[in-house]
This record gives sequence, structure tokens and C-alpha cells, in this order.
Amino acid sequence: MGGIRAEGLTKVYRRGGVRAVDGIDLDVREGQIFAFLGENGSGKTTTVRMLTTLLRPTSGRAWVAGFDVVERPGDVRRAAGVALQEVGLDDLQTARELLELQARLFGLSRGEARRRAGELLAVVGLEADADRRLGTYSGGMRRRLDLAAALVHRPRVLFLDEPTTGLDPGSRESVWQYIRSINREEGVTVFLTTQYLEEADRLADEVAIIHRGRIVAQGSPEALKSSIGADVIAVELGEDPSAIALAVEALTPLTAAAEKRVADGHLYLYVREGARLVPRVVVELERVGVRPRAVTVARPTLDDVFLRITGHHLAVQPPSTAGDGAAGPRANLRAAKSPEREGDR
Amino acid sequence: MNTLRATWLLTIRALREIVRQPVNEVGNLVIPLFFFAVTVGAVGRVAERAFGVENFTGFQMPVAVLNAAASGTAGLAITQDVVSGYFEKLLLTPAPRFAVVFGRVTADSVKAAVLAALIAGIGLLVGTGFAAGPLGFLLLVGMAGAFGFVFSAFGVAFGLRTGSPQAAQLSFLLFFPLLFLSPAFAPKEVFAPWLSFAATINPVTYVLEGMRSLVLEGWDGGALLRAFGAIAGIGGFTLSLTAWALRSRG
Repeated sequence: MGGIRAEGLTKVYRRGGVRAVDGIDLDVREGQIFAFLGENGSGKTTTVRMLTTLLRPTSGRAWVAGFDVVERPGDVRRAAGVALQEVGLDDLQTARELLELQARLFGLSRGEARRRAGELLAVVGLEADADRRLGTYSGGMRRRLDLAAALVHRPRVLFLDEPTTGLDPGSRESVWQYIRSINREEGVTVFLTTQYLEEADRLADEVAIIHRGRIVAQGSPEALKSSIGADVIAVELGEDPSAIALAVEALTPLTAAAEKRVADGHLYLYVREGARLVPRVVVELERVGVRPRAVTVARPTLDDVFLRITGHHLAVQPPSTAGDGAAGPRANLRAAKSPEREGDR
Repeated sequence: MNTLRATWLLTIRALREIVRQPVNEVGNLVIPLFFFAVTVGAVGRVAERAFGVENFTGFQMPVAVLNAAASGTAGLAITQDVVSGYFEKLLLTPAPRFAVVFGRVTADSVKAAVLAALIAGIGLLVGTGFAAGPLGFLLLVGMAGAFGFVFSAFGVAFGLRTGSPQAAQLSFLLFFPLLFLSPAFAPKEVFAPWLSFAATINPVTYVLEGMRSLVLEGWDGGALLRAFGAIAGIGGFTLSLTAWALRSRG
């Protein structure tokens, strides 16, 4: 039993009566990578905090690795590893001391703690810096150490709250590789929150989109994208409302049955056989005197799913990442270390 | 993970931090010694005539010890952990919640005992004497450690409740009125009635008199019992406050 389940999980903050999480149901199977996708303030972190026993739910129930988060918080903590959004480290300790202390607090003996700390420092590529105080670490090094600290007791479930926020593309790719490897090699269930579509798309077996405290869509990335059932034609029009209104009116006869959305100066048309329709779209716009800056057609992305459900794009996008890379996760994590040590302290 | 083992591990971590910031502790030693020297220098010569205290240096040394013992930084350190997020990392382990606090407070207690030993040692060098002998010296050090433990919990409660380093330091500011409302600089017998009443209901009075009895009189069971009773009373209050504040942190 290494899964996560929630029924009607709700959190209402007393101050201001904000309903941060509003009756969500979850069923994350053992061994899955599950991504919780949503904007800042959508309820992702509050959900993680309830599932990891840091916050008591207002109502509803949840189980992690089969343990009720309210009734058996100690068992939940023993089963779960957690890396929160804010990397919480003690700057006066060294990486080795921090990992050893963490391991011992999880009940490992002194010898076991020492061995496990050494092992994890090698995995996250921090061996050479293991005995330096954390106050001198860069953001990327801190993030990697935080991930190692979450794994020190070999958890069955790993919660990662925005694990790559603030990381450069190389470090982000390394973290992704490592998450995949512990999921595949050790069967760890991974619950990650993210506001990066690419992260959810590339890592997750299943994605839930959370919007204003509610899960508004859930499924595999492919299933969610297929749910749009069409290509996406994006017509870039700029912010002139009259041009947008004219374009919508002109294209309505052409795409009567198609769904349309306007966001960020674009008109989005969800149509079948989009490529075939593009020339006619251009001609119709030309006819009413609207000159689009660009017209593109693409297969739907998770962003299109998000846009369709919430009415707007996810605001935050990470810098584009390099390709998958052929080397294993350990090699990649090490490779990502050097530039950070040079530049990013 | 039992509370004792977790407390031990977290005490070691907190002591390591104290050792790694030695400059902070220099102030905690020097300031009480400075006030000790200045008070003895200003009043020492007239103390016997003014209020019948023969050994004013010995009379003042426990004030410096208490002053140092109240300089715990557990509250400040815990708020720094809260702000950095490390406190939550500790809460995510199976370590009992109270151990996370006890680790810091115990480190303050050890620090208070070390500072007390140094101050009392310096006191001996400048002629305070020690009526209760070496065992009494050790008891005074232990008493300072115990006072450091319970008083430090005050700052922890403030810090946990507010998450503010400034609030955590309020405990040290609170110590000064308590010290001034005790017979710190003159015996209670010469106080105005209102001040004498305030000193009577002030637990710091009894801790101070217990320590003073070891330096000036020898073994006074009643004074020592009252001192430990006062420490237990302060502890009952500050630790309850800490437990209440800890609940607000999940």
C-alpha cells in the first residue's frame, strides 16, 4: 500500500474564511507519478500540506500509504518523504550533518545514517561539497540536497512541491531524471505539484488540474489532450478588441461547430483537420480586413486543456529545456553541478 | 523515535550551532560580567553601611549568573528555523514535536550552565568566596542550567506563536523587570513596601536567594527548596505556554 487517497478533502482557513481546497477526491495508485497542475494559489501546496500531516483538514479524509493522515500522522511521516516548495535547510550545518541528523530522526542507527548520507550525497552529486556549511550552497545545490533529505529513510511515497521552481534547465532536467529513476527502480509513488505544463506532461502518468481549490480535470496527459478531440488553430491578433470581435464574427460560419476561446491576444479555434482549414481562416480574415500577426496550427497541449477548462493560460512557463539526454540520472545530476558551483551562489 | 533520543540528537545540533557562532556567546558572558563589575564598583564600598551586606561581591555574583542564564537564544533560533523552513522539515520526521523544542531549550540549558561556571569561577578569583564549597558550586551551576531551561522556553513560546524573531527576544526583555523587582541590588528588608511585595511574589527572587545562599551562607535547605520550587513554577508556566504555541504549528 504505497498509494494516496483522499475523499472530500477540504481546507478552509479561519482567517478570511478562504476555502483553499474544496472537497477534492484523489486516488493515486502505488508506483505512479502523479502531477498536480495549477497556478499559484490554486490549492496545490495546501493539499500537499494536508497529505503530509503539516496541516489538519477542515473536513474530508485522506490516506497516505494506507495510513489516515489525521489519525496516524506518525506512520504517514515514516512512509512519506517530502520536499516542500521552500527548501528548508539549516545554513550552519553541513550537507553531511543535515542528512545524518535527518536519517537518525527517522530511526536509523549512527552507522546506517552515515552510510545512507554518503550514498545520497553521491547520488545528488554533492560529495565534494558535503562538508561545507549550507549557507554557501547555491539554489540548485540546496534543491538537490533537499531532495536527498526527503529520501533518506527510503520512503514509499514522495511528495515534491514544485520541485524544479527556480532551477536552470540543466538542473531541472537532472531532477526529472532522478524522479523517474527512483520511481522506476524503487517503485516509489511520486506526488508532485507543478505550475509547469512541460513538467507534468513529461513526467506524470496521471495529471490532475486544480483550479480554485477544485480538481477540474484528471487523466493521463495523453487522455487529457485527446479530450480536446481536435487540433488547435491559434490566430494571433494583438490586444485590439474590435479586431478580435471582427475575427470571431468572420470565422463563425467557417467553424460554426468549433469551440473558440480568446486569451492573451489570441483567438483559439478547436477544430478537426486544422491544417486543411488554415488557408480558409486566413482568407476570411483578409476579407473583413483583419491582418493576423500569425496563424499556427498544432496538436493540443496541456496548456490548451488548461485554457479550455479555466479560460486562461497557465501564467508561468519554465525556460525551455534541453533534450532528454542519454546518460543516466546520476551522471546528469553530477554534470549539472559544476556550472552552479561556479556561478550561482 | 522516543522523545529522549530525538531531544538528544537535536540538542547536539543546537550546541553545534552555538559553538559555530562564538561571537554571540562572548556578549552573553561579557555583559553580565560588565554589570557585575560596575555594580560592585559603584555600591560595593557603601553596601555594608547602607544595607548591611558584608560581601557585596558575593551578593552580586548570582545576579550575573542569572543574567547570563536568561540569555538563551532558543526562541530566536526556532523562529529562524521557522522562517527558513527547516522547522517544518523537522516536523515531517517521526520525532515527537516536543523534542524539536526540547533540543533547543536543552542546548540553552547547557549554555547557561557553562556561562554560570565561568562567571562563578571569575567570581571566586575576585573574592566572592563560596560558602557551600565545591558541591555548592556545582549546585549553583545546575540551578543556572535549570533556570536557563525553563526561561528559554518563554522565548520559544513567543517565537513559535508569532514566528517573529523580535517577539522571541521579548523574553530577555521580560527578564529585566523581573530582575529589578527582585532583591538583585539590595536586600528585600530595605525595600519600600510596594517593592517588597513585588519581590515576594516574583519567582526570580527565590532563585536568586537560593543561589546567594550557596555563595554567602552555605547549605540552607529552605532557600534551596524555594529556589527549585520557583524554577519548577516558572517551568510549569513557560512549558505550558510552549505546548500551546507548538499546537499552533501543527
